[in-house]
This record gives sequence, structure tokens and C-alpha cells, in this order.
Amino acid sequence: MPDDVMPPPESASAEAEIEPILTVPPVPGAPKPNPLLVVDDLSRSFGGLRAVDVDHLEVERGVVTALIGPNGAGKTTLFNLLTGFDRADTGRWSFNGEAVVAPSPDQLARKGMIRTFQLTKSLAKLTVLDNVLLGAPRQVGERLSAAPFRSRWQDQEQANTEKAGELLERFNLAHMRDDLAGTLSGGQRKLLEVARALMADPVLIMLDEPMAGVNPALAQSLMGHITRLAFEGLTVVFIEHAMEVVTGISDWVVVLAQGQIIAEGPPWKAIHDEVVIDAYLGRRRAEAGS
Amino acid sequence: MDFDIIFGNAARAAFGPEAVILALAAIGLNVHFGFTGLLNFGQVGFLLLGAYGTSVSVATFGWSLWVGVVVGLVLSVALAVALGFPTLRLHAVMFAIVTIAAAEIIRILIGSTDAIGLTGGPLSVSFDAGAFYDLNPYPDGPHDRYGVGTFEFTGQQMWVITVGWVLVALVSLVVYLIVSSPWGRVLKSIREDQDAARSLGKNVFSYKMQALVIGGVIGGMGGVIDAIKTSGADPNGFRPQVTFFAYTALLLGGAATYFGPVLGAILFWFLREWIESFLRQLSAEAWLPDAVADFLSGAEGVISVAMVGLTLVLLMLFRPQGITGNRTEMQLDAR
Repeated sequence: MPDDVMPPPESASAEAEIEPILTVPPVPGAPKPNPLLVVDDLSRSFGGLRAVDVDHLEVERGVVTALIGPNGAGKTTLFNLLTGFDRADTGRWSFNGEAVVAPSPDQLARKGMIRTFQLTKSLAKLTVLDNVLLGAPRQVGERLSAAPFRSRWQDQEQANTEKAGELLERFNLAHMRDDLAGTLSGGQRKLLEVARALMADPVLIMLDEPMAGVNPALAQSLMGHITRLAFEGLTVVFIEHAMEVVTGISDWVVVLAQGQIIAEGPPWKAIHDEVVIDAYLGRRRAEAGS
Repeated sequence: MDFDIIFGNAARAAFGPEAVILALAAIGLNVHFGFTGLLNFGQVGFLLLGAYGTSVSVATFGWSLWVGVVVGLVLSVALAVALGFPTLRLHAVMFAIVTIAAAEIIRILIGSTDAIGLTGGPLSVSFDAGAFYDLNPYPDGPHDRYGVGTFEFTGQQMWVITVGWVLVALVSLVVYLIVSSPWGRVLKSIREDQDAARSLGKNVFSYKMQALVIGGVIGGMGGVIDAIKTSGADPNGFRPQVTFFAYTALLLGGAATYFGPVLGAILFWFLREWIESFLRQLSAEAWLPDAVADFLSGAEGVISVAMVGLTLVLLMLFRPQGITGNRTEMQLDAR
């Protein structure tokens, strides 16, 4: 769908607006009432393999969208393309009402599209607190011309430190704030990465398997955090394999198989879709069962 | 065997101009490698341009020494920019290869016979550094000596090392100020994982370029001091081992620390000179078999460098974080 059907970026109250998404027909590429991200004709091939081949995708604002699909479906590649970490062969997309031209990861991040990685990228030799502080946007002290003059950035640093402290508190990492991030457990690093991403004041947060390797108790609390984020108005897209997580926290599910979107819909519908079951389990079994 | 002389020689080397030059080279490298993770194997190229920029400006073009100093530093910046633009987007290993090659290309070009008219080519270049020594506050008569016992300097040497160590202190302070800031935090995040830095909105290329320029200029200052100290420059003084000596000093003192590269440079020269003086004294001992004495005499320099290399190996095995480094930080690499 071309860009001109984009609704104006509106600031309607985020809470309680879970409803409109339920009016969207559960078909691949379905238009959404208030999309934050609109993708068209996006493709990426590795050699002969078409890793991503998306005709049309809209991500609704203020909603938790789960991106699921069998291994090798192209979920992470799609993330990489959208966030500028990989170059698309064809395609265009717009984010927050603005067409994305010549995407670069840092530019997109500054516009509020913040991602995390499947293999956690905690900065091992920085403290937990510094990891989170790094996420803070528009830091005066990050300019070389201001860096040597502490008075020019210490107030902002102070405010950021307080905010970081709150985030660490929220993710149960406050007691480790001065430890090096490399000493954290795998699950704690996942939490740290989410905290760091939130520090960046994202408009859209894209989580690549945030629960993988996190113990069930931590995963439960992370799921709580994600629901709360959406409630606060943040748009969340996450890749996940565990179905109980998908059904637990997502409002909408997009199913990817062999690079294409094969189904979309609310979680209880999408994961029972016959096409989806085929994609996960293989057509032969589905045929044999019918 | 006179240990007073050995110690005096070692101490002189540890605090002399050579240590100043090495300290500056290592501080620059610390900005590149220690804080930003840029594997620069061509640090000597920055020293070379600092030294030749100064020398050629004065000797060939007849400009004032101070103009020469500025030219030397500007050339270091130019090298950083010229190296950075095509290579900073490449993988770290590619960057390392390009830097070592670039430094060698410059040295060979400057030392070629075709360059005699401009740089003196293989004949080296020399100039009058009088403008610098005119400011010397230390009386410099033929009998003026500063220091105790065998650890003493002439007035001219005193002037060079005073300026040199003050420069080292200032540069260290500036590096401390800029790195212990949010700017420095971005550098370290790039060292740890540049994709993470990108994903948080940091323009990695721009930060790497800034670090490359700053570290390069600091190296260039080392070259300027070298030119003033020797009143000239010789292409043979800028072989790749200078970069490796700077790495040795940096790792010895502790990479990514503020005082490490300075301490490392002092220790490097102390050790190297102590061993060399010791061997020289040893080869003169009467009880030594002639064959051994013959082998030793003349080879002291080579052996002492080899010993420094051995020290580095032992250091990597038993104290990989260097003298002032943080052990737990180092061990995180193994995870």
C-alpha cells in the first residue's frame, strides 16, 4: 500500500487502544488503523536463497506484535533490514510517518527505532550502569567539543544516572550497577540489554528473542515488563519461539515462513491457522492428518 | 662490574627524550587500541610525519621551527583522515594491515633517492633547532650537569626532557578528561561491540575517526620531539618496530589506563638500557671465555631488545592486564 494512506501521526491516548487492532482482518499484509511502521516489497537474497520477501506489512502503534516462524524463516534478517544492519535488495518502508531513505542503524536508532540482539551485546568491560547510560539519547557529553568540560554535561549525566537507576531497579539489576556487565549471567544480560534499549526513549522497540536463555522466573518478569511498556504507549515487536510467551503477551502475531508473511492475526487465531501449522510441521504431516 | 654505571645509564634512558617519545607514541596508541579498539599497527607513521614535517619545513623550506611543528602535527591529522576514510569501515584486521602498510609506504617514499631534494632521502635531513634551545633556561656550559652520580643530563638535554615530560603530562590530562566522559564511554562501547553502539544511535565511524585523529596527533607530537632532539630525521628511525615498542610499553603499563602508557614507556627504556649496559659490562669481564665475550660485544643492543620481548611474553602469561591494569576486566575476555 503506498505511503499516502498513512494516517497522520496521532497522539491518541495509548492505553485502552488495544481494541482497534481487533477490527483488523487476520490476513497477511492487512492494513492497520494507526501503523507506526509500513513496509513494502522488501526483499533480501543470500545467493539463491530468498531470505526475506515481504509484500506488505504494517505494524500497529502502541501494540505488542510477535514475529514468529520456523527456524530460517527470515525473522532476524527482517529485523536487520528494518533497523539498517543489513541492506535490502529491494523495498521501501516508512517509520513514524517518515520514509526511510538510505537506512543506517545509528540514524534509525536516533529516530526511535531501537533493537536488541539475539546474541546479547552487553558491553562486557563497561559497568552495568555505564551500559544503560550509553543508551541515553542526545547526550551533550558525547560530543568531543564538550567532553573535557564536565560542567557542560554533568547535570544531564546526573539526570540520566537517576533514570538509569530506576530502570535497573525495575529489572532487578540495581544491586549490580557498579559490576562489569561481563560478570552478569546470560539472563541478566538480556534484561540489561532491554533496560539499555529503554534508556534510549524508543518509539519502537524490537526485541530479538528476548526470552531465549532466560530462566522461567526472569522470563515471567520480563514478560510483565513488556506488557507494561505497551501499556505505557510503546510499540513492541519481538521475535519469539515459545508459544506460551507469544500467546501470553502479544496483541498481534505475524507469521513468517521462507521469508514471506503467511499469516497475521490475533494470537489465538494466528497460531491455529492451518497455513501456520503446515509451515511449522511440514505439509506432509498436515496432509496425512486431514 | 659497576652497577652504579649500569643503573645510571638505565635511569637516564628511562627519563630521557627517547622515553618521552615512546610515551607519546604509546599514549596515542592507547587512544586507538586501548580505548577504541582500533588495531593500529602503523603508529610509527604518525611519528614519522611529525618528525619529517618539522625537519623538512625548516631544512628544505626555510620556515621557522614553530611553523614546522604545526606542519608536522597537521600532517599527522592528514594521515589519520586519509587512513580512516577508506579503512575504518573495514574489519579490524584489515585496518591493522592497511596501517602497517601505509606507515611503511611513507617511510620508503621519504627515504628513496628520488626524494633527496625534498626530504634528504636515505641521507636523512638535519636542521637548526636553535629556536628551541634559545628558550633553554638551564645554563648549558661544558661543565654544567644536572642530576646525581651517574644519573645526569646536560643543560640541553634537561630542556628537551623538561618540555617533553610537561607535554606528556598535559597530553595525559587531556586524554583523561575526554575519555572519562560520555564521549569516552562511546569509544569504549565501540571497542566492546560496535554494533551495540550503532543500535543505540552512535555514529561509530565518526567516533573512530575522532579517536584516530587524536591518537595520531599525539604520536605526531612524539615525532616532533624526536626531530627537535636530534635536529633532524632519518628514515631508518621509523621502522615498524617503533610501533611494536609502543605496543610493548602500552601493554607493559596497562592498556586502557591513563598512566599505564607513561609508566610502560619509562620501564621499557629502563629495562632495555639496564640489560644492554649490564651485557656491555659483562663482556668486559676477564673471567669470561673469549668466545662468549666476542659474541656479546656488539650484540648487547640486539640481546636487550630480545630480552624486552621475553619480558612481554612473560607479562602476557602472568599479568596480561599490565602493571596498572584491572585483572577482572582482562579475564572477561575469556568468557
